[in-house]
Amino acid sequence: MITFEKVTRRFGERVAVSALDLQIPAGEIVMLVGPSGCGKTTTLRMINRLVEPSEGRILIDDVDTASLQPEHLRRGIGYVIQQVGLFPHLTVAENVATVPRLLGWDGKRIEARVTELLDLVGLPPAEYARRHPSELSGGQRQRVGVARALGADPPILLMDEPFGAIDPVVRLRLQHELLRLQSVVRKTIVFVTHDIDEAVRLGDRVALFADGGHLMQYDTPAELLLHPRTGFVEEFLGDNLLLRRLALLPLRDVHLSRNGTRPNEEVAITASLRDALDATLRSKDGRVAVVDEADWVGTLDADAIREAAAAK
Amino acid sequence: MDLIHYVQQNWSDLEAQLLDQLLIVAVAMVAAGIVGVALGVMAARYDRVRGLTLGVASVAITLPSFALFTALAYYLGLGDLPVEIGLAIYALLPIVRNTVVGLRGVDPAVLDAALGMGMSAAQRLRRVQLPLALPLILAGFRQATVMVVAIATVGATVGANDLGQPILSGIRDSNSAEVFAGVIPATLLALFADRILGFAQTALARGASAGAAA
Repeated sequence: MITFEKVTRRFGERVAVSALDLQIPAGEIVMLVGPSGCGKTTTLRMINRLVEPSEGRILIDDVDTASLQPEHLRRGIGYVIQQVGLFPHLTVAENVATVPRLLGWDGKRIEARVTELLDLVGLPPAEYARRHPSELSGGQRQRVGVARALGADPPILLMDEPFGAIDPVVRLRLQHELLRLQSVVRKTIVFVTHDIDEAVRLGDRVALFADGGHLMQYDTPAELLLHPRTGFVEEFLGDNLLLRRLALLPLRDVHLSRNGTRPNEEVAITASLRDALDATLRSKDGRVAVVDEADWVGTLDADAIREAAAAK
Repeated sequence: MDLIHYVQQNWSDLEAQLLDQLLIVAVAMVAAGIVGVALGVMAARYDRVRGLTLGVASVAITLPSFALFTALAYYLGLGDLPVEIGLAIYALLPIVRNTVVGLRGVDPAVLDAALGMGMSAAQRLRRVQLPLALPLILAGFRQATVMVVAIATVGATVGANDLGQPILSGIRDSNSAEVFAGVIPATLLALFADRILGFAQTALARGASAGAAA
């Protein structure tokens, strides 16, 4: 668990982060999101002391990070940045081996770990281990960046807009891969993004910042979308707020009843209200059957979906 | 014909002078390489050191070699030593300048990653910055070597027994064959050093982007 206690960071006169209290639970993905200059990157960089707080303290598992030697602290925290920053003169394998080498692991252990990690991020070692970064695509480079950050199996992973410079199709794939990866490795991941869709898609929790490093809301994606606490939050969530909310509402939570004849279009009860709306739009008569396995358990149409959404 | 005759007559002297020239250049370049890279590392990190070092080295390289060697010989005595030190001073500017440019030219994202992974300042320098700056440092070293091979002949004026000796005595005796017997091997030596270091540079560049074409 990472705990921020009244952390403030000033750069000259400018306040980048303002009296931040934040708890990041172990094993969760916490997204730091907000407009440019809201202090989200500064917040991230204070965790591994690339930036020192002006006031307040940051604890990792109840240990004040200021009491640790910065190099030792950092070797226990994975770090991924937008520009990746692979070492161009080293091979993929040597890049991934960076932190284990700093920690003085023996050669056999390093080699086994590199192989394991390259497999984990979907880059077969036989093909990629000996390549140089210049021979990789942008998406492959960031996979190596993630593998390198996981090198010594650190419990914490810091990611600063890791997919920001990658085209949308590959970005979506990397996002899914990160979630798959997380289901295996269960790290505490702190992830900076300015993309609210990315934040909602990946985060177990989302911390939304405003200018000057003020934390506006810290909630699960569902809570954030369903109950934005201020006008700023609502504005930042954007135009398609209602559609996004629908995606977070499972049909299981909707009061369902059957009426009329069974419609031809179907949607599974495991799906969301957004999927139901999609099916409704597809349906010839605007009605859709909600099914649990093969059983018809309810009927929905646009009006019913709107009522269900409003009820939340 | 005179030249061939002169070389045949004075072969053992010329051989010794060529070897001495080689030795003087080698000593000067090893010293300049060590001091130059060390100064370059400091200069890349600290703005003040950078201004001072590059300023002094820029002035030093403009000093007339005859004057510099004479001044050094005044304190150090005649012989190879003042020449070696003088040449090392001339060689500093290209080496320091290229080291600074190379070190400061390393991608900031690469340095940020190195820092974030817990490398100490010394580890960043040794494992990341110097290897990435090496091609430029070597280019500076090569440039300096070629320059220094030529200037080394002037060292004969303060007693170095190098290829400047036949040039000096040839001028004194108005014997052009003698002059050429010093100038030609000195020039060949410069070209040779340039080629050797050029090969090293190419090999290094190939190593840095190994398999990029594959």
